[in-house]
Amino acid sequence: MKKKKKISQSFQKWLSVVIIIAFLVTTACLWVIQTKLSENNAINLLALNISDVREDIIDASDENLLKLTYEIAEEINQTDKVTSEFLERLTEKYDVTEINHINSDGIIDASTYPDFLDYDMRSGAQSGEFMVLLSGDKEYVQSYQPVSYDTSISRKYAGVVLNDGGFVQVGYGSERFQKDIDEFVVGVTRNRHVGEGGSVIIVNEAWNIVSDRQGNEGKNLETVGVWIDKDKTPAGEVFIEAVYGEPCYCMYQISEGYLVLAVMPTGEAALSRNVSVGVTTAMQILVFAALFALIFFLVRRLVVDNIYKVNESLSAISEGRLDTTVNVRSHEEFNALSDDINATVNTLKRYISEAEARIDAELAFAKAIQHSALPSVFPPYPNRKEFDIWAGMYTAKEVGGDFYDFYFVDEDTLAFLVADVSGKGIPAAMFMMTAKTFIKSFAESGMSVEEVLSHANEKLCEGNDANMFVTAWMGLLNTKTGVVSYANAGHNPPLVKHGNGTFAYLKSRPGFVLAGMEGVRYRKNEIQLLPGDTIYLYTDGVTEATNQDNELYGEERLLHIMNQKANLSSKELCEAVKADVDAFVGEAPQFDDITMLCLNYFSTDEKGVKNREVKKLTVKATVDNINAVTDFVNEQLESMDCPMKVQMQIDVAVDEIFGNICHYAYPLGEGAATICMEIQEETQAVVMTFMDNGIPYNPLEKEEPDTTLSAEEREIGGLGIFIVKKTMDEISYRYENEKNILTVKKYMKC
Amino acid sequence: MTIEKTRNNDELIITLEGRLDTMTAPSLEEELKASFDGVQKLILDFKALEYISSAGLRVLLMAQKTMNKQGVMVIRNVNETIAEVFEITGFADMLTIE
Repeated sequence: MKKKKKISQSFQKWLSVVIIIAFLVTTACLWVIQTKLSENNAINLLALNISDVREDIIDASDENLLKLTYEIAEEINQTDKVTSEFLERLTEKYDVTEINHINSDGIIDASTYPDFLDYDMRSGAQSGEFMVLLSGDKEYVQSYQPVSYDTSISRKYAGVVLNDGGFVQVGYGSERFQKDIDEFVVGVTRNRHVGEGGSVIIVNEAWNIVSDRQGNEGKNLETVGVWIDKDKTPAGEVFIEAVYGEPCYCMYQISEGYLVLAVMPTGEAALSRNVSVGVTTAMQILVFAALFALIFFLVRRLVVDNIYKVNESLSAISEGRLDTTVNVRSHEEFNALSDDINATVNTLKRYISEAEARIDAELAFAKAIQHSALPSVFPPYPNRKEFDIWAGMYTAKEVGGDFYDFYFVDEDTLAFLVADVSGKGIPAAMFMMTAKTFIKSFAESGMSVEEVLSHANEKLCEGNDANMFVTAWMGLLNTKTGVVSYANAGHNPPLVKHGNGTFAYLKSRPGFVLAGMEGVRYRKNEIQLLPGDTIYLYTDGVTEATNQDNELYGEERLLHIMNQKANLSSKELCEAVKADVDAFVGEAPQFDDITMLCLNYFSTDEKGVKNREVKKLTVKATVDNINAVTDFVNEQLESMDCPMKVQMQIDVAVDEIFGNICHYAYPLGEGAATICMEIQEETQAVVMTFMDNGIPYNPLEKEEPDTTLSAEEREIGGLGIFIVKKTMDEISYRYENEKNILTVKKYMKC
Repeated sequence: MTIEKTRNNDELIITLEGRLDTMTAPSLEEELKASFDGVQKLILDFKALEYISSAGLRVLLMAQKTMNKQGVMVIRNVNETIAEVFEITGFADMLTIE
């Protein structure tokens, strides 16, 4: 699955996006505003400079003209008669364009221009302004402008009151005017800066530069790159034109016949804007970064950290620690969330404990059923003195897959087994019940042990969809002879103690597990238990018990404790093993069921009576000793009320068996043979055991002779053991500890 | 075991006493082999014989085979134990028991 983003990451992402957009928008707005602002500043600056220059020019020309006018007025005051000729002379003397003498009625009565004579000053707006001189003012200067009389002519006039009650009006034409102030104008522009790099250019009516800062006087305005169409670009409006090769804001005004052009490089305006925007942007970055950090920190602290806290508690709950509570109380929302989760967990806990209680009850019930299916009353057969059996099952869980079982399948045959179903719990217990039932029903039908397991295997394989299996070790004890025929379905080897008092593992090749595969055949083995012998069955819960260091209890430890406690009763022995396992395991939990079964064989003698004396004779295995052996046997038989015929049969058997040992056991030399003789008074029987260390040989497997043949056809071999088989009541053979052990039993009754 | 032989011309009577077993059978075998010559009727008297083991049966089988060629062999006075052994082993049908 794709890894999900964290809240803080999403938040960080969106917060970044929003802040960046906000930043860009504000920066763009700022840029636009600042651009406009800087343009306005430039315009204001241009207008200010133009107006300054204009005023300077006007002031200068006013002062100049007024001074001349006073001088001319003084000359007129001193003359008696003012005539046009006199004025003509003054015009030349003072180098002015026009002089008019206006009488106290406001009529021109003398003029350098004959056309102006008798002109009433009041008749034009421009000329009318001079009427203030007849109302008390001493002087008046007019700006350069078209005259009322003929608007095609522009003049600058000044007037001064005369002693005769009239006033004199002196006018400059444009040429005279410019001549008068050009010098001054140059001075005005030379040292004037517009902003840092801007300047003022003054142009006369012929579009020639009067003054600029680059020394272009006299050249056409186009020289600096400007061409102005007065109709399209009115005075006082800003336009952009490349001046001196640099784009500039430009603005002009007409003043006193001059065109005053102020220029300022747009770059300068942009610079101020750039600096302003740059500084503001830097501050914005700081502000937005701080804002980002603050919001991020707050969200992290108020939301994300708390969510993590909730999650930690939830993880603990998920891991099964249901006692964990969620305690995030910083805000109302988290408070409610914590309460809700805690309430949910509490409900869950209640349901679990209810379910547990129900399951516990059911498991306990199942355990009771399972245990009740196993024999649990000890001693189970108080009237049977031939053996003592005890079994126990210590389950790890309430129900397990182990089981033991024992029952008589006929008068003298005790079936006993221990088995282990794979797995644990209810399924294992159910399978165990099935296995136990099949095995018992087949055993009780009189089958031999290997047939029991083979048939049980077939049945268990049917419909074993769960693929469970069972290991089992099953024995059938003939309580009269002590012979145990057994079969092993993949189970641990039992421990057997023989007369010498030490336990040893009864190793036999095990067959396949039960329910593992159809068609498995099991092998029958036999051992002879002698009085006092013990056989101990167990499941791997014993040998595979594990301590806290993960060590297994193991077969060695089991063998050791068994030999330490070899002489105890079956129950005591089992309890001793369990105690030893418990001590070994210590505090570590019990993983597997522990099941064990112990059987002490006493023979047919009374249980616990120790006078079951076993007489023993060991002699060299030579024919010469047959008589000695026979005498030894007969000697034992004397204590019994032994019929002669029985004694003869026994003697023949001794002769056959001992003779066989003498002839065949030691082909390479000589060896010993031991004869044990046991009188079982209870059942009026005698048990003889022949043991030798010779080559392994089971006489019982020898093919029986064909007794129907004629003398000529007959082979003499095999007759001896055949006679023994026929005349004795029971016979068994086993090979143990490198010994051939042949046991025969004979009842005294014929 | 004691072996007592009585010879009347071509008839040989051997009376056994005690036990015919692994120990004693070889001596009976020797006696018989030494006495077969010219015997047409061999009578084995078991009235004092206690029991017989397979070693004894082996000797009897040898004797029967020999006598099949030169005459007859008869066993007399067989006790219950021995009769049972003969019965079990099928010797009862093979031997001539009176």
